[in-house]
Amino acid sequence: MAARGTARRGAGGGSARGPDPQEEPPPPLQAVLVADSFNRRFFPISKDRPRALLPMANVAMIDYTLEFLTATGVEETFVFCCWKSAEIKEHLQKSKWCRHTSPNTVRFVTSDLYRSLGDVLRDVDAKSLVRSDFILVTGDVVSNFNISKALEEHKLRRKMEKNVSVMTLIFKESSPGHHARCKEDDIVIAMDSATNRVLHYQRTQGLKRFRFPMSLFQNSIENVEVRHDLLDCHISICSPQVAELFTDNFDYQTRDDFVRGLLVNEEVLGNQIHMHVATEEYGAHICNLLMYEAVCSDIIRRWVYPLTPEMNFTDDKNQSYTHSKHNIYRGVDVSLGHGSVLEENVLIGQGTVIGSNCSITNSVIGQNCRIGDKVTLDGAVLWDRVHIADNVEIHHSVICDEAEVKEKVKLKPRCVLSSQVVVGPGITLSEGTVISLHPPDEEEEDDDQFSDDSGVNKESKVKLKGYNKKDVGSEGRGYLWKADDKNEEDEEEQRQSLWGPAMHSEEESESDSDLSMGSEEPDSRAASPQLDDIKVFQNEVLGTLQRGEEENISCDNLVLELNSLKYAYNISLKEMMQVLSKVILEFPLQQLDANLDSQNYFSALLPLLKNWTPLFKNYIKRASDHLNALYAIEEFFLEHDSLCTSIAKVLMTFYQLEILEEDVILNWFSLRDTSDKGKQLRKNQRLQKFIQWLEEAEEESSDGDQD
Amino acid sequence: MGRRGGGSGSAATMPGAERGSELSEQIEAFAARLRRGGERPRSEDTARQTLSLLRKIVGNGRWSRAGELMDLIRTEGQRMTAAQPSETTVGNMVRRVLKVIREEYGRLHGRSEESDQQESLHKLLTSGGLSEDFRTPYPSLRANVIEAINEMLIELEGTTDNIAMQALEHIHSNEVIMTIGYSRTVEAFLKEAARKRKFQVIVAECAPFCQGHEMAVRLSKENIETTVMSDAAIFAVMSRVNKVIIGTKTILANGALIAVSGTHTLALAAKHHSTPLIVCAPMFKLSPQFPNEEDSFHKFVSPQEVLPFTEGEILAKINVHCPVFDYVPPELITLFISNIGGNAPSYIYRLMSELYHPDDYEL
Repeated sequence: MAARGTARRGAGGGSARGPDPQEEPPPPLQAVLVADSFNRRFFPISKDRPRALLPMANVAMIDYTLEFLTATGVEETFVFCCWKSAEIKEHLQKSKWCRHTSPNTVRFVTSDLYRSLGDVLRDVDAKSLVRSDFILVTGDVVSNFNISKALEEHKLRRKMEKNVSVMTLIFKESSPGHHARCKEDDIVIAMDSATNRVLHYQRTQGLKRFRFPMSLFQNSIENVEVRHDLLDCHISICSPQVAELFTDNFDYQTRDDFVRGLLVNEEVLGNQIHMHVATEEYGAHICNLLMYEAVCSDIIRRWVYPLTPEMNFTDDKNQSYTHSKHNIYRGVDVSLGHGSVLEENVLIGQGTVIGSNCSITNSVIGQNCRIGDKVTLDGAVLWDRVHIADNVEIHHSVICDEAEVKEKVKLKPRCVLSSQVVVGPGITLSEGTVISLHPPDEEEEDDDQFSDDSGVNKESKVKLKGYNKKDVGSEGRGYLWKADDKNEEDEEEQRQSLWGPAMHSEEESESDSDLSMGSEEPDSRAASPQLDDIKVFQNEVLGTLQRGEEENISCDNLVLELNSLKYAYNISLKEMMQVLSKVILEFPLQQLDANLDSQNYFSALLPLLKNWTPLFKNYIKRASDHLNALYAIEEFFLEHDSLCTSIAKVLMTFYQLEILEEDVILNWFSLRDTSDKGKQLRKNQRLQKFIQWLEEAEEESSDGDQD
Repeated sequence: MGRRGGGSGSAATMPGAERGSELSEQIEAFAARLRRGGERPRSEDTARQTLSLLRKIVGNGRWSRAGELMDLIRTEGQRMTAAQPSETTVGNMVRRVLKVIREEYGRLHGRSEESDQQESLHKLLTSGGLSEDFRTPYPSLRANVIEAINEMLIELEGTTDNIAMQALEHIHSNEVIMTIGYSRTVEAFLKEAARKRKFQVIVAECAPFCQGHEMAVRLSKENIETTVMSDAAIFAVMSRVNKVIIGTKTILANGALIAVSGTHTLALAAKHHSTPLIVCAPMFKLSPQFPNEEDSFHKFVSPQEVLPFTEGEILAKINVHCPVFDYVPPELITLFISNIGGNAPSYIYRLMSELYHPDDYEL
């Protein structure tokens, strides 16, 4: 209600200024915040809490994102929620963003039907929410970036060349090996250094060699920069066209799809993507726990200033901290026992009690935690109301709300205890252990993870099954998700997916294969699938032609179909040419009989060639195309010795149908660097006769040009 | 704020409610701006913005008695100071306004200004701490307080000029002056002196922000002979320097400074060579706080300037700090030049009691 009131007043103010058309105020800056990741990277943690609400240095991630948007001057934010939308809504309504004094009006758009970023943007378009350029972010971005400069550049570009540039991607400069650089998000970008235009965009995950299309360096751009020192902040400035393009291309799921699609079809659609590199400001996107840890420590180390804990930018009374040297942040009513040492980079939330002789370093501790005596915390992230008993050791692990760790438990690095789990006493959790109250196998049971009610009916199931005491200790509660053992590859994958570095979730690998099309030639490892691609493509072409023959489809439509196939398999024109020639020449063999003699073969082929002349003409335009077609024909006849004799006739037909030109045929014939077989083929009498005839014909037409 | 607006439902009070929520929006925006820091605001601008916001609170706020107004100002003041504790100017302006309200109330209450100014020991003892309760409503109080705040705003306009006017008394021909970083007050001070005298200025660059570069550029445009040098050279050059003139962020109650980092080094070097250290600071930078109150005077910004984020792998293994301010103890300071004249650090306590009421030291 309050938000609506503000908006109305804002609108009223606008109309009051309305009469003066010259000084019409620019439309308010809008933002689309996608508070859902559309993947399960944070499972099982995100089963209890949506990713946007995970506390990052005791403040929910979405608050950082909203603060970033507000600080940068956004006046209206659309928050799109899907998974656990009610919780996100509740959180935001309690926060300062929904107070009427907030300069940034937050509106919610909730739907359980969103399955990807693409769905969200299509909805933005359908509801026509945005009026001008808007900022697109996900709910897990932490940044202190001031977008105004990039926005100005973006607007200027759009003014200079009407609607050509549709998107500006924001990157942060950071060299490879940086701890806040997540390997799965690594990218290689080729850009035009004069205009900052993105020419090529490729994710590097899993690739050892990168290939760039030659066309990058061949066109008129003077300086092309290839950069690998960029961190993708997942912040982009979009024009309203972006939403429309998502609607037009219903297969775009992610922003990557969009960027790739736009770059591939740049010549067709005429849209361009630009980029902006931030050098001083901070910006990071939390995509896995490794990043979560890295960004947490960056916040504590004040890289994200002014979004530091003691600034209390959420204006929440429970979040006031004092900052003292060595980056120790203390909330209100924190008690620290005798002999306990806070070494450095420690954040302690309000009402937490720490026992004596503890040693705490590089850790984040939430509100109202109870920590016993002689506890060692190193790089631990504790959420709210966590209980830690005496003599516990925790290294680089995440412990969620209300979890309990009993006496003498030792957590090796990269352990995760999700909420309300109890472990111990007296056990050691090996590296990478994940324990949750949700049994892991239930994941397969219900597919509809994104629906809100999935959490409810599980409680009963949980109670039915006993906890494995070996995993969680004699008083423990919770199921082991991933142990460190590598017996099952799936599980290993899952564990890494939580923490990050070299993961291959389904989605990722899918996008990988898409990627290889983005670049003209994938790396050597992907070479074999590329060959397969051609094979598959060839079959598809054959199928299309057969259908065309049977259903008598017009050549124009066939060309359309072949073109779409060509794009679908990312086939170059040259390959297209070869495949087409080969398929058509093989067609009679496929149709009739594999052991056709040359006479019958030709009589079967002739009507086909006549029928499909427009097809060839569509693809064979330049001299090099002619030559390629000839090579394909030659290759075919080399493979089919028995049909050798009909080559002259075939060539003759091509010539008569004006598909191939005589110069090129002559050229091809006189080529020397051919194989022995090729030479033999050229010795074919009929062929020689044909060539002779051609030469004579040419001599007749153009006097004395020969020799 | 919203509750107040909603409570008065009648149509007649709607504009007031509207203004009330607008005011609260403005205060929020001001606090947010302070919090974000951004482009290093001038203290003078901050002071002016604070004053005009306070004036709006006095003008539009719902209060009838002086006590209510003071509570209102105090709560809003706390909100604004909490946003950025290192911007002490905000708190100072709030205290000044509180003092003004006390004075105006006292005047309306029929107490002479004299008695308020000079509270004798005898009076302190006899009155038994029975201070006024600020209960009596005076309709003219609102106008009077706004008038007094307007006067303060006018006074603010002239502060830099007032300080610069004293330049000729302190800078003599052919002297070598050293300064650090960039201070608008010092810039005006030196420029004023340069109109009559010829002297040389050495500017310490004040890494990592290097505001000294800007200072040097601005001074040399006025044809002042200017040299920029690195902070490390301060001690080496000090023997040649006749006077050190610096600006500051805050003057604390004990006469110490919170100034840009590097100032302490400079002050120690000056002390070692017995070079006089002159601090140019307008009175609104005088804060009744002491240095040992919490750690709120610290301001650590992003380490980006010290070690860029692009360094890569090494950043995970090290801690980088980038403090903005130094604490300079009062014994290193020779003289304060403010808009009301020159004073020694030992006299600060007196200025303090003139500017602020003791009850307001703690907001």
